[in-house]
Amino acid sequence: MSADVLTGTAAIGGEVYGGPSLRGRTRALLRHLGTPVAIAVVLGALYLWVHGLKLDSIEQRTLNYTYIHDRVIEHVKLTVVATLLVIVIAIPLGVLVSRPKARWVSPIVLGLSNLGQAIPSIGLLVLLTIKFGVGFKIAMFGLVAYAVLPVLRNTMVGIQQVDPFLVEAARGMGMTRRQVLVSVELRLAVPVILAGLRTALVLTVGVATLAAFVNAGGLGEMIVNGIKLSRHPVLITGSVLTCCIAFLVDWLGNLVEDLLRPRGLS
Amino acid sequence: MTFTEYVQSRSDELTQAFGQHALVVAASMAIATVLGVGIGLITWRRPRLSGLAIGMSSGFLTIPSFALLGLLIPVLGLGWTPTVFALTLYSLLPIIRNTVVGLRGVDAAIVEAGRGMGMSSFRVLWRVQLPLAWPLILTGIRVSTQMIIGIAAIASYVAGPGLGNQILDGLSRLGSANSLNEALAGTLGVVILALLCDLFFLIVRRLTSSRGLRVR
Repeated sequence: MSADVLTGTAAIGGEVYGGPSLRGRTRALLRHLGTPVAIAVVLGALYLWVHGLKLDSIEQRTLNYTYIHDRVIEHVKLTVVATLLVIVIAIPLGVLVSRPKARWVSPIVLGLSNLGQAIPSIGLLVLLTIKFGVGFKIAMFGLVAYAVLPVLRNTMVGIQQVDPFLVEAARGMGMTRRQVLVSVELRLAVPVILAGLRTALVLTVGVATLAAFVNAGGLGEMIVNGIKLSRHPVLITGSVLTCCIAFLVDWLGNLVEDLLRPRGLS
Repeated sequence: MTFTEYVQSRSDELTQAFGQHALVVAASMAIATVLGVGIGLITWRRPRLSGLAIGMSSGFLTIPSFALLGLLIPVLGLGWTPTVFALTLYSLLPIIRNTVVGLRGVDAAIVEAGRGMGMSSFRVLWRVQLPLAWPLILTGIRVSTQMIIGIAAIASYVAGPGLGNQILDGLSRLGSANSLNEALAGTLGVVILALLCDLFFLIVRRLTSSRGLRVR
């Protein structure tokens, strides 16, 4: 199975990988090292810059350890909890939908996930807030609702693109349907599922900034404050920290993808 | 006031917001298409360069939209400029990637045949390779458009134009009679725009892709 097939079905979110040559491996290692180093450099520069500024009282209220720490924790919490919920909901559903009996559902899922993409995240969050009130739970609901469809779609597509001959062969070897699902279909679908999950995760970090609009905290609060009070240091700190979380999450996703990719593939 | 009454009473305002939303997306897409296809054309023969271009543009896409807009304010101020800038950056990846993949996917034998007929390499590119890669490039443009229509709604927070203003107005008037109507009108407007764009690209694809490709 070529890498092109995988990236083709994963639409956005997959990468074309080179062969497993030794040189490729060192380069992959270097690539994995690059991101955390870059993030550390950016964070260091940000710290030094803010440290050297003379902050007024408004800036001091937000640019201190406790405030930033709390916002980062809130942001990470929103992202992680939402992602866990998405995994629990979307992957089993995706497996269910990919069963031959449920084949008629797959065009509906594809259509829905396209339509769902068209709904703006901010609109969804605001509508939920107007209907149900502000707060962490509502923001969480919005985040999950937004990320479920792409993961569901990739799980379904990932399993469906497994070569039917391989499934046939596994059945012929005497494996039960469950065994085929667990040790053939799901294994081979892992790269596509993870690509979807990684895209959804990065998306969630971004949408979580909007949680500030519905009083659910997170780093978006710093960006909003920075814009409202026109305090660039606050704005920039919030934005840069959000970016760093997004890149870190993307890096982690990439690492997991490389670790969990079936050896036979690639 | 029911939703239909609201839409009727504010139809001018809503149409204007819809038009501006479409305009800002179209402007960003126009720039991104020229840039993206251009970068794709320059780099597709050189894997290292195209890898770099794809890596960088996927880096842009990793930056959360609200954070990018925030970072652009100190440099570009508020309004249209940061909006178009951010939307353009976001739409590059699908266009560059699909241009590169599309051009690489053209059968070498067909290119050879074109050369053998005495076409210059520019002519081969223009008459053979680009038309064959076009459906994939167009798909990239479509994916980008769908994506930035939603992101453009967020840009209203940095005084960008469009339907996002309706959504944010609804939020800022939380609890008042029309807040739900405003947010709903904004959100549905964005969805409708996205669907119309999809339809537009379906028609464009039909009209502009080579007939030989369609028969197959």
